[in-house]
Amino acid sequence: MNARGPTRFASGSAYWGAVAWLALVVGVGVLGPWLPLPYPPATPDLAHIAIPPGWGNSAAAHYFGTDPAGRDVLAELVFGARELLTLSLPATALATLLGASAGGAAGFWGNRGLALPLAIGPLALAAGWWLLALPYWLISSIILLIISFLIFIYQWKFARLGPRRFAGVTLPLPLDSLVLGVATLLSAVPRLVLVVALAAGPPLSTSQLLAVLVLVAWPDTARLVRAQMLRVRVQPFVEAAWASGLPEWRIWWRHALPHACQPLWASAPLSLAGLIGLESTLAFLGIGLLPTTASWGHLLGTLRQEPTAWWLVVGPGSALLFTLLALQEVARQLSGLHSSKEYFNKTASDVTAAHLRTKIK
Amino acid sequence: MHLLPTPLEELTLGESSDLSHVGSPRRLADRQAAQRALYHRLGLEEPVFYVSRSAHAPIRWYWHGTHNQYHRWVQQLLRGNLGYSYRTGQPVLALLQSALLYTLPLMAIAIGLATSLAIWLALGFALAPAEGGGWQALGRTLLMSLQAVPLFALALALLLLFANPDLLNILPADGMGTAYPPLGGLAWLAAYGAHLVLPLLSLVLAVLPGLVLPLENALRHELATPYSSTARAKGLTAWQVAYQHALPNALLPLFTTFTGLLPALVAGAVVVEVLFALPGTGRLLAEAAAAHDYPVVLAGVLLTAGARLLALLVADVLYYRADPRLRPSS
Amino acid sequence: MAQVNSRAVDVINLMHYSLLQTDFATGTMAPTLAAALPSVQFVGDSLTHLDYHLRDATWDNGRPVLATDVAFTLKLMHCPELPNEGERTHFSFIRELLLDPADPRHFTLVCRGQAPEYRLDSGDFPILPENPLDPTHSLRQFSLATLQDWPRSTAPAPAVAALVQRYQQADPGHHPERLAGCGPYQLAAWEGNHSLTLQRKKKWWGDRLPTAPLVLQARPKQLQFLILPDDAAATLALRRHELDLYPQVSARDFQRLQASATAHRELAFYSGPSYDIVIAGFNTRRPAFQDKLTRQALSCLFDAKSLLAGTQLGQGSRTVGLLPPTSPFYNDSLPLPAYAPARAVALLRQAGWQQIGGTWKRAAQQLAFSVRYRADETTFETVALQFRAAAAAVGIPVALRPTEASTLTEALRQGDFDVCVRKLKGNPFAFNFLPILHSQSVGEGNFTGFGTPASDRLLEAIAAVGQPGRKRLLLKQFQMMLQKEAPLAPLFVLPYRLAADRHLVQVYPSGLRPGYSAATLTWAATPSPDH
Repeated sequence: MNARGPTRFASGSAYWGAVAWLALVVGVGVLGPWLPLPYPPATPDLAHIAIPPGWGNSAAAHYFGTDPAGRDVLAELVFGARELLTLSLPATALATLLGASAGGAAGFWGNRGLALPLAIGPLALAAGWWLLALPYWLISSIILLIISFLIFIYQWKFARLGPRRFAGVTLPLPLDSLVLGVATLLSAVPRLVLVVALAAGPPLSTSQLLAVLVLVAWPDTARLVRAQMLRVRVQPFVEAAWASGLPEWRIWWRHALPHACQPLWASAPLSLAGLIGLESTLAFLGIGLLPTTASWGHLLGTLRQEPTAWWLVVGPGSALLFTLLALQEVARQLSGLHSSKEYFNKTASDVTAAHLRTKIK
Repeated sequence: MHLLPTPLEELTLGESSDLSHVGSPRRLADRQAAQRALYHRLGLEEPVFYVSRSAHAPIRWYWHGTHNQYHRWVQQLLRGNLGYSYRTGQPVLALLQSALLYTLPLMAIAIGLATSLAIWLALGFALAPAEGGGWQALGRTLLMSLQAVPLFALALALLLLFANPDLLNILPADGMGTAYPPLGGLAWLAAYGAHLVLPLLSLVLAVLPGLVLPLENALRHELATPYSSTARAKGLTAWQVAYQHALPNALLPLFTTFTGLLPALVAGAVVVEVLFALPGTGRLLAEAAAAHDYPVVLAGVLLTAGARLLALLVADVLYYRADPRLRPSS
Repeated sequence: MAQVNSRAVDVINLMHYSLLQTDFATGTMAPTLAAALPSVQFVGDSLTHLDYHLRDATWDNGRPVLATDVAFTLKLMHCPELPNEGERTHFSFIRELLLDPADPRHFTLVCRGQAPEYRLDSGDFPILPENPLDPTHSLRQFSLATLQDWPRSTAPAPAVAALVQRYQQADPGHHPERLAGCGPYQLAAWEGNHSLTLQRKKKWWGDRLPTAPLVLQARPKQLQFLILPDDAAATLALRRHELDLYPQVSARDFQRLQASATAHRELAFYSGPSYDIVIAGFNTRRPAFQDKLTRQALSCLFDAKSLLAGTQLGQGSRTVGLLPPTSPFYNDSLPLPAYAPARAVALLRQAGWQQIGGTWKRAAQQLAFSVRYRADETTFETVALQFRAAAAAVGIPVALRPTEASTLTEALRQGDFDVCVRKLKGNPFAFNFLPILHSQSVGEGNFTGFGTPASDRLLEAIAAVGQPGRKRLLLKQFQMMLQKEAPLAPLFVLPYRLAADRHLVQVYPSGLRPGYSAATLTWAATPSPDH
């Protein structure tokens, strides 16, 4: 039943196909500017607007056709791969990373699990006061800093002298509410409204666009991982790890998080597709990237002006599809490898060790 | 024809360099006077919030008291008044109500259909051997391809396929009927149904991959666990094991994905509404955002935020019901 | 008089008649409620008197449409807190309405200033009935000028405040049935953002006219307007006979429909020049664009011919200035602007630019700039891409900045751009380029910031001239000046395109909005021939 055995891994032609395709995309993306393309990207050929693919014997044919602005689809595809490497993939990776760590921490520590030293409170307040330049910012910040310092000294000193009432007071960080609140706030604004509103401002640079994409994409991952973490947290092997006295962060990082991230193997490629889809939807609505930036999603978006131009779907659509399938396949293999062999062995050994230690105690 | 209308000021005052009106030349002072009158009528003359900060150094904070736009907006909100649209002057509540009248039934049917179809498909896929071909492998590839196609391309393709006199001319292109005088009873229902087929089909096909693929992944994971093997060893059929034992566990991490669809109930789907000319909330909000019609945007955001909170609550309740170990008390 | 956009105006014109309305057959304004075009009398050197006689029209309840209704409409326009700031500014030139005690259908409009276009412009607002809104005639105690000059800081007079409240409560902008106009149609159904159905009144005063001129005809028993935001869906709806008439078809859809044999059997296609011109504007406040040679040089980099062919697919036409070639005032002795990179390079050198290390430099300046345009327009995008490629070929780096519509308007007004591509809307009635090129309109409609004393004088003369021969001379001078100074590069005149069922006749397609004459449409037994 379990097909994710190492045997399939070794002989999976699908896997090698996937790797080859990804290598091709990366290669084309990196080498794009040096490839001998018949037409440069982002240059309209006004005599050939929205023409179907042709292999005519003229010196420079549009092998993949042109889009409604007369741009060569082949050139756009090649430079679209570059855009994928510099924007969509990093955005997905960052959003997944951010979402997994935020969601994982929120699910693991909950609202009361993570306690910060009390001195952090006035320190943060001082920083906020300073940054916002609130009235009497200099004096207020200094006073807050001094308070923070006094608390620190007091707690540190009395913690050494012995337990006192005030010495043990900490500041519990409501991590769960914080992460959920921010994620809810972000996703409460419909994605499109958020981006439309942002697009109304000055044009975005690539890094700003990256930040926007990460901002809209991470809450989903965070919620997914948090939900899984709620479940993983109470699994016997995590409880055993707790009992064995492993440090908190190690339990979180080594034991709980890998398990909680299990659904990500399936969802990360989908969220990449989601981001590219968002891009093309924006192009459909007439907002988004510069027309000089080639992108598969943008190319798909031009379909609206020319709904019968099948070559605008086939090129970027299949490139997108193959990339997604390849990512999915690689993810499946990696997660299979992870969960079936190494990961379970590791967990098992850790848990056995923990059991042993509790027994010894 | 543009989807997004030109902004508020242009709509009311006319574009300054528009020569299509015969008319006296307007000068800067005229326009400024008109602009002031417009801002006065819409209540935009007051400061936005209780406090404001000077944009340039030296930085100062100013206190405006209760005479600010936000204060008035909240005051009205507490009385159940969401304000008036800048663009049309209609009460926002009325606008939202009429838009929800189209969006709610459409999205509810779409989400219901998609969810049940997703569970059924995921079970089917998960029970098939991963190596083997058959309809499952084909279905999975199809779903993956669907995932790569953006919603608008999908809807456009359906439109060009089923509402095209040159191909299959069997379904209406418009998302709702336009009969006048209005039809009554069954005739209306039949017309309504026929008009909804294409929007529904596009929506269901668009969300299906996002539901089926993770669910299948989770199901496979659950089916590989010892308790499933035990269940099989007890002599249950593969379907019974999957449906009764693996599915509840596999659904658990995906509750958020499923309940995440709920806000779409009220937020609508812009692309589908644009293509099929449905005057739903998605279009209302996107057009309002583009035209800077803030009362409408704010109300829409409030509405979706409410729906989102409700969805989270539902997800949490479902979790605790499905897995008592997760209850906060334990 | 609710807040309107251009689409709403088209419908309002069918329910509420104005004094004058567009005659689509001739492309001129024709008298509707007025019996004839007003007679003009210049008083002194700063006033115009326009003399109107009303037709024998009645409201639905049989009461006659009188001069007092016109006076009431104008006064209502200037009541505070009503959503018509635009109209208020637009018609502020009408200072007073003088009633004729002897003839209730005769009145005189007193206008501030003297301009030839006042004659037509003064009749372009829908007339509202006085009685339903103001049964006690409370507005009659105020003169129009009093209401116009009412200080904003002072509270409105109680009578005015009461009227405004009554108007807001009735909310005729969203409930047109509460305020019936004297037009031939009434609202039957309205589904916001989707459809609107108008029905012909059974009893209407226009039916009594023995021979109704075109603007007073109302043939269809029912008119339904649909809002279809997507072009592809609209085209399909037309093919499926869910629509009978589709104005402003995109170039590609138009071509595709014409190419389809079945569509060609069922539909009639109309197209011709409109009054909208695509232009590229230079921000003359930028140091690099202050001299006309640089502007001329960059104008040579727009390939208007290929752009017209590529984006409009054979329709539309090129132009030497801001007038369409079909205009009787077009200056055909000027050469059409041509794509000439070599000439651009020569002009740049002449302007003092030198190519050093791949970039163009002049003293401390470097020739590198950005192009802004509306993000949702493919035509503008194509123009910008073509210009960018042409500029890159001669060594000028150009960045593109597609901008959302409202932000762009604001940026243009404030002069925050280098080069912009946009559409100028024109009309066939009058030639008044003061709003877009006069130095007094800088910060308003004149976004290029252009304006020399000579050009200002020329524009003022054009705006004031009435005699056709002199007008032709001045307008030809204007087109010459525009080519020489090149504050903006006119690229091409956009065409209008309209597709309708072949059995629909009396369409009167036109470059004026809405592009056809809705009230004259008639079904014919035999399909109309090719156009």
